[in-house]
Amino acid sequence: MSPFPSESAWAASAGEARYRIDGTIVSARNARVIALDERAASVARRVADGPWAQAGFFTCENSGPAGDGDEIALRGLDGVPSTLAGLLATDPDVVVVLATDDTGRAQAAAIGRACGARAIMTAGVVLGDGFEADDAVAALRPYARVLLLSADESDVFELLTALRV
Amino acid sequence: MLRRDINEFLTQTGPGTPMGELFRQYWLPALHVEELPENDCPPVRVKLLSERMIAFRDSQGRYGLIDEFCAHRGASLWFGRNEESGLRCSYHGWKYDVTGQCLEVPSEEGNSNFCENVKLTSYPLVKVGDLLWTYMGDPARRPGLPEFEFLQVPPEQTYTSKRWQQCNWLQAFEGGIDSSHVTFLHSGGLKNDPLFKGAKGNEYNLNDTKPFFEVADSEGGLFVGARRNAEEGKYYWRITPWVMPAFTMVPPRGDHPVHGHFWVPIDDENCWTYSFDYHPVRALTETERQAMLDGHGVHSKNIPGTYRPAANMDNDYLMDRGAQRRGETYSGIAGIAMQDASLQESMGPIVDRSKERLVPADSGIIKARQKLRKAAVALRDEGVTPPGVDPEHHKVRSAAVVLPQAESFLASSRDAVTVTPGTPQASI
Ligand code: FES
Ligand SMILES: [Fe+2]
Repeated sequence: MSPFPSESAWAASAGEARYRIDGTIVSARNARVIALDERAASVARRVADGPWAQAGFFTCENSGPAGDGDEIALRGLDGVPSTLAGLLATDPDVVVVLATDDTGRAQAAAIGRACGARAIMTAGVVLGDGFEADDAVAALRPYARVLLLSADESDVFELLTALRV
Repeated sequence: MLRRDINEFLTQTGPGTPMGELFRQYWLPALHVEELPENDCPPVRVKLLSERMIAFRDSQGRYGLIDEFCAHRGASLWFGRNEESGLRCSYHGWKYDVTGQCLEVPSEEGNSNFCENVKLTSYPLVKVGDLLWTYMGDPARRPGLPEFEFLQVPPEQTYTSKRWQQCNWLQAFEGGIDSSHVTFLHSGGLKNDPLFKGAKGNEYNLNDTKPFFEVADSEGGLFVGARRNAEEGKYYWRITPWVMPAFTMVPPRGDHPVHGHFWVPIDDENCWTYSFDYHPVRALTETERQAMLDGHGVHSKNIPGTYRPAANMDNDYLMDRGAQRRGETYSGIAGIAMQDASLQESMGPIVDRSKERLVPADSGIIKARQKLRKAAVALRDEGVTPPGVDPEHHKVRSAAVVLPQAESFLASSRDAVTVTPGTPQASI
């Protein structure tokens, strides 16, 4: 064996870590968060205060059938009305759906389908013990690349932070 | 991405650090039983959570884990003589028992009681399964002994190996709940490894490289479910349990033994990886045991007489570009254990998580970091006992199941992920 450190041993040392290129990381994720029910909306309001560069937060009007999804009525936290089609036209690269119960199950499925059809990454965060929202979970499952079933509302904040939203 | 201060918080486990205190709430593997094979055998140096200790087995078979350095003038007790129910320092002959109590100071007069007041820090060292476990926290909070299933089955059904990993514990552990790397890094192993190959589930793995993930809290930590397409209308689920702080299990494949890991910080730049394989209902076959000894599956081939893998950073992990080109291995490194370790070590001793670009598929890792941090803060600020301390939390299994698409992986797999002694693992 060579008496000198191999390239791996040399390169992985703590000293060499100093020479890693410190390039700027542009905030890459353009995220839209859609709260499906009342409690989810209050979580979204709290999280919206975070230091986000490219996030939009919306609540979802649950009255009426979800239809093919595009007409689902959304409302920005500033109160400005929108539709799912309008939101998806802004080119998000991840849509995070928040639910705490089953009121938004039809909308969950429709949002999932609409994102799926446009190949937009969908993530679901379901807060609570999971039972109150099991229909919403089932509706999201086929489409959401990730479902986080959580008792902890700060997970929403952590997820967006980790994804560099 | 993780803020730099949180990265430091999670990766530092020395005395007095919040994560160090968290680790000190649990029984942790300190040695493999084979390291102290008989009474009065040579003592062994042990470093855990940035504390240097010496382990020995006295003339009566009692195990001890005490401060490495003699109370007299600080010589290492590794040079000591392990005889007549105690470890005697080779410098001036001070002698200690397994609790660190000084028994003899030869230079003192016969009825001096000086040595009664000399006691080295010591921790309990207890054999459970093939490992010697220690608890380095407040004795008043000491929990029941570990009850993981790999420790509870008869000896002929279980095997544990150990290897030194030259990086912080967290980046090693994160590999254990990162199901999305398997299809890439370990694709060769799914086809060729004697402890993996041949399972029906491997086909689903290899045919669907974009798994979906569900992450759910458990009492002791998390369940991470990775879902791939199976036959029409069905999903193939691989469910990985994590028990805090650092125990994970790999979902099983066919009737192969089930495996998993326990990561233990040595110091902030090194950790021990304990890798186990067991079968809940049958003895391991000779062939299986030999394959494990030869470093297949999750095990490593170590330099004889050490726990350092034969393929390590000093020899570029025996990189084989030919095998990589031919597709026998994805990265050119042989063996699942060293495929993981080589990449984890390549990140540097403590990876700078403020530079990461995480994706939604990393949600298990994101959630695990969050749970660790919350538990460490709750312990520090309010004395809350963290998840995974209660031995009841240890009774989980990994599982590999095919379920109808509409079913929740957890609701349908409750039994599959709970230990029922004497029942086989849920596996495809
Ligand atoms: S692709 Fe994951 S670390 Fe490079
Ligand atoms: Fe791996």
